[in-house]
Amino acid sequence: MRRVAVPRLALAWLALVLIGALLAPSLAPQGPFQSAGSPLSPPGGSHLLGTDHLGRDLLARLLFGGRFSLGASAAASLLTVLVGGSLGMAAALLGGAFDAGFRWLASVLLAIPGLLLAMLLVAGLGPGLPAVVLAVGIGGVPGYARLTRSYALQLMQDGYVAAASSLGAGSGWIALRHLLPNSLPQLIPLATTHFAWALLGITTLTFVGLAGDPSIPEWGVLLNASRANLLDAPWGALWPGLAISLTVLSVHAWGRRLADLQGS
Amino acid sequence: MIFPSSRLKSILCLCLLAAAAACGQAGTQEGGLRYGLTLAPSGIDPHIHASVELGIPLSSVYDTLVFLDPETGQFVPGLAERWEVTPDGLRYTFHLRQGVVFHDGSPFNAEAVRANLSRVLDPENRSQRALSMLGPLREVQVLDEFTVALDLEAPYAPLLDSLSQVYLGMASPQALEQWGPADYQFHQVGTGPYRFVEYLPNDRLILERNPDYAWAPAIYRGSDAAIDTITFRFYEDVATRALALESGEVDVIGELPALEARRLAEVGEFEIYPVEIPGQPLQYFFNTQRPPTDDPRVREALVLGVDRAAIVRTIFGEYSPVAQGPLAAVTLGFSPRQDFGGYDPEGAAELLDSAGWRPDTQGHRARNGDPLQLLLIAPNWGSNPEVGQLLASAWDALGAQVELQVAPGFGPLNEVQQQGEYHAIGMNTFGSDPDLLRPFFASDGFFNWSGYRDAGLDLLLDQAAQSSTSEDARLALYAGVAGKIREQWLILPVRDYVNLVGASRDLQGLRFSAQGWFPYLIELSWRR
Amino acid sequence: MVPVPHRAQLAALVPAARRVLEGLVTAWAAITLTFLALRLSAGDPVASLLAQGATTPARAEALRHELGLDRPLVEQYTGYLAGLARGKLGNSLYTGQPVERVIASQFPATLQLGLASLTIAVLLGLLLGTVGAWSGNTLPGRVAPALSGLATSLPVATTGVLALLLFGLAVRSAPRGDPLVTFGRTALPAVVLGYAASGPFARAIQSGLEGSLRAPFVLAARARGVRRSLRLLWHALRPSLPPAVSLIALEAAFLFSGTVVTETVFSRPGLGRLLIRAILQGDFPIAQGIVGLAALFYVGSQVLADLMALGLDPRIRRAS
Repeated sequence: MRRVAVPRLALAWLALVLIGALLAPSLAPQGPFQSAGSPLSPPGGSHLLGTDHLGRDLLARLLFGGRFSLGASAAASLLTVLVGGSLGMAAALLGGAFDAGFRWLASVLLAIPGLLLAMLLVAGLGPGLPAVVLAVGIGGVPGYARLTRSYALQLMQDGYVAAASSLGAGSGWIALRHLLPNSLPQLIPLATTHFAWALLGITTLTFVGLAGDPSIPEWGVLLNASRANLLDAPWGALWPGLAISLTVLSVHAWGRRLADLQGS
Repeated sequence: MIFPSSRLKSILCLCLLAAAAACGQAGTQEGGLRYGLTLAPSGIDPHIHASVELGIPLSSVYDTLVFLDPETGQFVPGLAERWEVTPDGLRYTFHLRQGVVFHDGSPFNAEAVRANLSRVLDPENRSQRALSMLGPLREVQVLDEFTVALDLEAPYAPLLDSLSQVYLGMASPQALEQWGPADYQFHQVGTGPYRFVEYLPNDRLILERNPDYAWAPAIYRGSDAAIDTITFRFYEDVATRALALESGEVDVIGELPALEARRLAEVGEFEIYPVEIPGQPLQYFFNTQRPPTDDPRVREALVLGVDRAAIVRTIFGEYSPVAQGPLAAVTLGFSPRQDFGGYDPEGAAELLDSAGWRPDTQGHRARNGDPLQLLLIAPNWGSNPEVGQLLASAWDALGAQVELQVAPGFGPLNEVQQQGEYHAIGMNTFGSDPDLLRPFFASDGFFNWSGYRDAGLDLLLDQAAQSSTSEDARLALYAGVAGKIREQWLILPVRDYVNLVGASRDLQGLRFSAQGWFPYLIELSWRR
Repeated sequence: MVPVPHRAQLAALVPAARRVLEGLVTAWAAITLTFLALRLSAGDPVASLLAQGATTPARAEALRHELGLDRPLVEQYTGYLAGLARGKLGNSLYTGQPVERVIASQFPATLQLGLASLTIAVLLGLLLGTVGAWSGNTLPGRVAPALSGLATSLPVATTGVLALLLFGLAVRSAPRGDPLVTFGRTALPAVVLGYAASGPFARAIQSGLEGSLRAPFVLAARARGVRRSLRLLWHALRPSLPPAVSLIALEAAFLFSGTVVTETVFSRPGLGRLLIRAILQGDFPIAQGIVGLAALFYVGSQVLADLMALGLDPRIRRAS
């Protein structure tokens, strides 16, 4: 019973967050950039979640923030999945020198902790949300590529791949027609878990101040901004903290459930 | 129910405590004062660097030729006992105090003055502030061992004010020679009531009392420092400043956020000193060289379309007055006759319409198909990021598309400014003499970030700088300067700086110099 | 003929030496990557300094020469490596201070935080894993694994801010300068980071303990009527300790990046704050130095972990 309850709650939360982000302009009482009330007012009344230190409505900031955080994480994950997935699959298919080179390069890249690699990229590109998205996207490539490669290798041991290649099918054809569709069951949970990692990475980098523009309502930025008045207005930290934590946990829970559903 | 036995639990607890204890000494300081500074500057050589932070400790390490009395506004003798100025204002002769000794034992004399001023004048040293404070100084002549003459190319009213500031404090030529321009900042030697002990960048700066100090100027209440050691630490993160004071990590700290200051004042253990700082207010310069801000109507609209009073109230509480001009109200030369207007969004909209920027159905303004886009650059000090956010949202409401960038320091701010793509940029400096406006508004001024060039304005600024006649005449000239700035809407003034300093109630004697930022450390003592 | 024991010892060194060599190559590659990533993505530092007013056009050429920017990339790279071997990492663009000196001054604070967090992570992992396995279906037995599961998933930023909030509210009424409060405030970052890092330990201990609790000797002891005492626990725990110990080395990487966030949350000095400031100010030599150091550290700890596994596992030793 508990086994099914957690993923159901997770799904409900994710649906809530997604709807909130998509319908933000209609759901939010005010815009997220306008000062709409007295600063640091507690939740209640016309400001359901309270206001921040500049008087902006926190519900609005949270809803629009969902757009920024989820959108950025999706973009970064897409980058990782496309680039990492292609590289991993290519390494499995082409084998030989390419595969050896890929394995070596991946182990070198993984020698630098992912967060620091991303920070290094932001150091070169300059602070800003696009740079953070790019950095987290690229930072996830080595790990994701390696996983894709091992899945692809497993699949290639199946008979039908050998059969296809003996019939003269080229590597690209094998990849598109056989490997990709058959690896999707494993790759989807992987991508889901990776989305959680990307969300974590993006909110962490924006939390430490690398987002450039402090007015964007991204959840990590909100969490950081709440520190200045933490004891006087704890709700400023509570909402983004809960949003980030619950979303990450929910995505993890769903990643696990999807993996379970595929069977081992 | 089996749970790990109590013995195991106690062992675990002990280990945890030990581990936690390993993570840092609980900072118990013996005696001494702990002073909290804010942003860590890139360098602390007063002759070379320009930050205000460096002056807070170093004003007590150096003495200056003259001192400015914060209460009377008059110049009193310091290292110079008396001085004369020729009627044409081109030669200042200083008769120096005898028997003054630097912290390293070397004597203070006219040669020392010459060495110090030459160091500032040397273009190789890239002085960021002290050099411009000397104005048209041409030559320093040693007349005899304790008499020195400063020859100027033109009369320069702000000279005494400049010579009263730490940026032109007198350092030991021996130490300057020994350490060289790059390393001297780590081994500073002056004649002041406190000696420089050590400086670890971004970490701490330590001063200790100078027992041989016997030449305190008349404005110091007391001639002997009471506190033996003062340790300065940096608290860049605004969120940590009030906490540092409350937790006892520091005894004094400046630049507290308004909401925190109010709360601390109510707690009862702390005293809040709101210090009004003369100089420029927190303000934003419009780029007159780049459309759409090249049009004075647009600039006026951008000022009128912002509820400046509401912004100041939201961010700074009741502590700060709304700025009404290019100078803060407490500055010499402030002219109360300028009116930068209140909040008039309809007037702003009309101005934008008349300038050709018309709104579409969603309210976004455009002219001939080009949208009204603004790039706003905010520095990272003094709550500028917050002000920037509210400015951006106000201009957004007017129909502009605003991009806000926060520059993480003065260097990056300068860099962005040089790229020239901004429409509004925040910058301000402090000082007790209104001549500080000249680099910002003169045609060839180093800080002319509005890009406005006008011969009339240049003339006013030059005349005011050279004016050695009545102070009223000089003030009238600065009123003219303010008038021109307002006429052209070159700036958006936000608030007069009020530095909220919090200190433990056990500390007494906290008093600040005429420049507002620098405390007279010699007057501090503990209440017993 | 060489006597067998001698030969076995010699043979045992070969995989270890190979591992160390691999580690050195990886470390070199990581440093190269750091160098390239910055050089290629960043702009011209001298132009930046000029624009910041930190140098004159006259000195710009000399500065460019000092920084080695007028030489081809390959030469710059070899120069960088040579400097690295001598322990010189260049100078900060912002303050002109030698990077190695700046890093050295901030290193102790980060090291302290890292070590304390590691200790707490191990102890907490031990506690949670043991309770999870030992207490089975009771409430603590279910809460413990849930807590350790949360530890890995929850971002350090959120747990840190929450901890700061709860602690701040709890000590609000305490007298100023109370030593217990000061101690608590100093210990809090290590507790937060230690908790975040405790997940893998807890899981390793729990699964190891669960396994050995089903082992024949334990079942036999219990059949004889030996109570589930501390002594039994210790014997059951012992086999699962070595793999957990090698986890310690691997946790090093997590801790390094974890300290960056923790130092920001609690506004503590250290390499994390230094790195962020360097990134925001565009101070590339410092950013490069810190990330390079982190890579070296991580590679080193991985090599150490592998060496320990080689050393501890008698099967591997015997097989060589």
